[in-house]
Amino acid sequence: MSLREEVLTRVKALLKDRRVDGVLGLSLFEKEPVPCLFEDPFDVDALVIEPKWLLAKLAMNILKTAPQEYRLGLVCRGCDDRAVTELAKRNQLDRNRLTLLGIPCTAEQARKCLCSTPYPREIVAGERVEGMYPMNDEQAQLFLTGSMEERMKRWARELNRCIKCYGCRNVCPICVCIPCKLEDDLWVKRGHIPADMVSYHLIRAFHLSDTCVSCAGCTDTCPVNIPLMLLQVSMRETLKSQYAYEPGLDPERVSPVLTEQEKGEGTLFQEPAWIDSLRGGS
Amino acid sequence: MNLNFIKTICPYCGTGCGIILQVKGGRAVTTLADRSHPVSRGGLCIKGWTAHEFIHHPDRLTKPLLKKNGKFKELSWDEAIGLAADRLKETVKAHGPDAVASLSSARCTNEENYLFQKLIRAGLGTNNVDHCARLCHGPTAAAMAYALGSGAMTNSIADFSGAECILIIGSNAAETHPIIMGEIYKARDNGAVLVVVDPRRTEVANNADMHLQINSGTDIPLIDAMMKLILDASLENREFIASRTDGFTEMKEYLSQRTLEELSRECGIPLEDIRKVAELYARAREASIVFCMGITQHACGTSNVYAICNLALLCGHVGKPHSGICPLRGQNNVQGACDVGALPNVYPGYQAVADEKNHAKFAQAWGRDLSRKPGLTVTEIFAAAGTTVRTLYTMGENPLLSDPNQGHLMEMIPKLDFFIAQDLFMTETARYADLVLPAACYAEKTGTFTNTERRIQLLRKAVDPPGEAKDDFSILCLLLKAFGLKGDYADPSEVMDEIAALTPIMAGVHFDRLGTHGLQWPVPSDDHPGTRYLHKDTFTRGKGLFVVPKYTPPKEMPDENYPFVLNTGRMFSHYHTGTMTRRSPFLDREVDKPFVEIHPADAARLGIVEGGGVTVTTRRGSIETFARITTRVMEGSLFAPFHFSEAPANALTIEELDPDSKMPELKVCAARLEKG
Ligand code: SF4
Ligand code: SF4
Ligand code: SF4
Repeated sequence: MSLREEVLTRVKALLKDRRVDGVLGLSLFEKEPVPCLFEDPFDVDALVIEPKWLLAKLAMNILKTAPQEYRLGLVCRGCDDRAVTELAKRNQLDRNRLTLLGIPCTAEQARKCLCSTPYPREIVAGERVEGMYPMNDEQAQLFLTGSMEERMKRWARELNRCIKCYGCRNVCPICVCIPCKLEDDLWVKRGHIPADMVSYHLIRAFHLSDTCVSCAGCTDTCPVNIPLMLLQVSMRETLKSQYAYEPGLDPERVSPVLTEQEKGEGTLFQEPAWIDSLRGGS
Repeated sequence: MNLNFIKTICPYCGTGCGIILQVKGGRAVTTLADRSHPVSRGGLCIKGWTAHEFIHHPDRLTKPLLKKNGKFKELSWDEAIGLAADRLKETVKAHGPDAVASLSSARCTNEENYLFQKLIRAGLGTNNVDHCARLCHGPTAAAMAYALGSGAMTNSIADFSGAECILIIGSNAAETHPIIMGEIYKARDNGAVLVVVDPRRTEVANNADMHLQINSGTDIPLIDAMMKLILDASLENREFIASRTDGFTEMKEYLSQRTLEELSRECGIPLEDIRKVAELYARAREASIVFCMGITQHACGTSNVYAICNLALLCGHVGKPHSGICPLRGQNNVQGACDVGALPNVYPGYQAVADEKNHAKFAQAWGRDLSRKPGLTVTEIFAAAGTTVRTLYTMGENPLLSDPNQGHLMEMIPKLDFFIAQDLFMTETARYADLVLPAACYAEKTGTFTNTERRIQLLRKAVDPPGEAKDDFSILCLLLKAFGLKGDYADPSEVMDEIAALTPIMAGVHFDRLGTHGLQWPVPSDDHPGTRYLHKDTFTRGKGLFVVPKYTPPKEMPDENYPFVLNTGRMFSHYHTGTMTRRSPFLDREVDKPFVEIHPADAARLGIVEGGGVTVTTRRGSIETFARITTRVMEGSLFAPFHFSEAPANALTIEELDPDSKMPELKVCAARLEKG
């Protein structure tokens, strides 16, 4: 049985046995994929598992607006699994109402996303492939290493193109604050593009510094091709090297950014080396 | 739980991005980006991301309304359709068919535009049907059709990323066509040189390799100078000129009449810079020119487009991949509205009304005698409103905010015998109507839109129209029946089949072939895969024609009383007359008041502060707005977006028309600025 068929069988069974009320996945519509909430087992034949399509945020919104007793299944990859974990840790969704149907990504997909963990904690079927170390990526090297001037120039050139579509915020599975700081006049000037580098892009980046599950959603959606996820890579690396912490991997573990602060001792986690270039000098 | 995800097309600009409306319990609650869409591939601009926000706005019209003693009263659809048909018939009977004029809509689908012009042409017997394309790319259509044989963007959006040089003239694509801009940036990342020609230091200019900040309206001197320099350096494409073009000798002769120094002085760009750009463009293996309102909205707009075509022909940069002449169309379906004949001089597929063969073909197909006389254009319609034009029917157009010289319009419209407006909202224009028909928005109907790269895409119904509102397709079917014409189409796909049968460029277009990727016309047969770029081995007209442009400097130059050059246009978070975007809370939050851009030096001189109230006055009128101080405009220049009905920039602009395309000069006029 192919991976798709395995998933399909599971989804049908979940719905038939009424263990969930609906399953969020992808279905084919006129030969193209589109998100779909399957509620009838007979519709499930249209289910597909490609391409990678982030669904965790949609799942969260479904659970938030559905009646309390509504239980949801979610076909999810590694990134969505991690996002669900982070959302649950922040009380944004109730894990007890959610059944995950995990699928592993291909090696090619993992390379595209610079993903170090291209599989969920539990998988329905298929084979796990090795992830990649994001700093090995050529583009990551270009943007995150080298002299401060070079990096500053590179980032300024990229971020200057921003058309302030708010897409990076909209797709990010763990960008869920209400109200959003990016809509606060104190920080972000209205009616101007490009969005300000420090107040828009860095607020967004730092807000997600200990939650970013490296799903590549922001990079993928950016219409002007800014490699946004790279803003997170070194912060993630810092958390990993100093605290052996990775967002989304352990539902029980609280972010060290919070725990270390509470302890009132020591310093917060070290600033990643690259933020010097975004301070604009010195 | 009744949750659906409907793939459809963004209702705003001509890029035609793919959106997915999330529909819950009959309401569109969110917009998602479509990752599998061929143009937008999972990205959207701020307008696309909020495309669901205006759909269920409480201001939507829900019932037909008739004005009696200055007040609108509700009436039934039967009464409304009966009344509309009667008044149209009465006008025809009393004053002849040409006393009726109509404006179709670049917002509506191809099928609706087709039915609209069919109703006007076959039902009423006049060719007085036009739409707002006149106000954006009328000159483009006129000039490119004459010089190349087709008025459409020659290449595809995805083609940009492979170009070596991209010249953007008079387009701030980063704000008006952001998703296309992404493709252009991709080209730059792949090593292409990006050159921007614009009097403003626009967002695009800020991200280009070179910016030529020319004097407003002097594109022809600049391009002529480029051509002279290319010839001087022998960089022209001789083989292409010899085998694929006509008129080169005349062109050379014309160019020899002016000196480079003169031309450079006129456009305000140092000769060295012009030389650099000319060589970059001419030497590139593949090069594209992108242009927009900055080229067309001038009294010599048609000639401006000729100049662009001349440059491309000179270097042979047309008729191949990644190389083309790319007008970016403004409204979501302005391309389609033109394609299916919502123009006074052509039937669907650009088949001239004046041509006897075409006349016979359509008369036979529609079973009616048709008028042989080309109809009135938008601007001519308003000039004749209340005099020879007695009754007006508009579908989804808001000319009071989009057409030049608002004051004149407000005087003329009340002189009409009867005015029927079909729209989503009680727009500035609909307020003046006698009969208002509540229409459906993009999310409430099926049909097709054609984007700027000629891609015909399916729109899918996601929700029902509010109250008794009906989609324009259904309204038109009722009116067609009232005129004894076929009105029992099962659905819009049947209309598309009829279009295909009559329109060679769309002969192979049928709904079941469109899927989610659409088809790029020309699609001459049922098995044709569509066309990525035009003019491949031969131009649509045979050979490409060099046309000597006629340069006219802007009509109104600054003087003592009106010392500023005023420029009008769009900004990123709003769209056209703002009827939809200003009802989107998120977009309204981004920019909720009108503004005028002023250079810091001018502001300091006049004691104007950021955000302060200012009055902008021209010979035609005056608006109160708010100052935005920025170096995006040159000293002595102002820029005002036209989305704001409380400060309508078109109350200020001139009606000066391009003699060839009847395009008004919206881009340049002289203005005065006062504090407060
Ligand atoms: S910041 Fe980007 S990569 Fe990280 S979780 Fe959000 S969308 Fe995914
Ligand atoms: S997705 Fe890209 S363009 Fe849009 S707001 Fe984010 S950085 Fe800017
Ligand atoms: S670029 Fe145009 S079509 Fe695309 S999302 Fe923005 S307004 Fe809509």
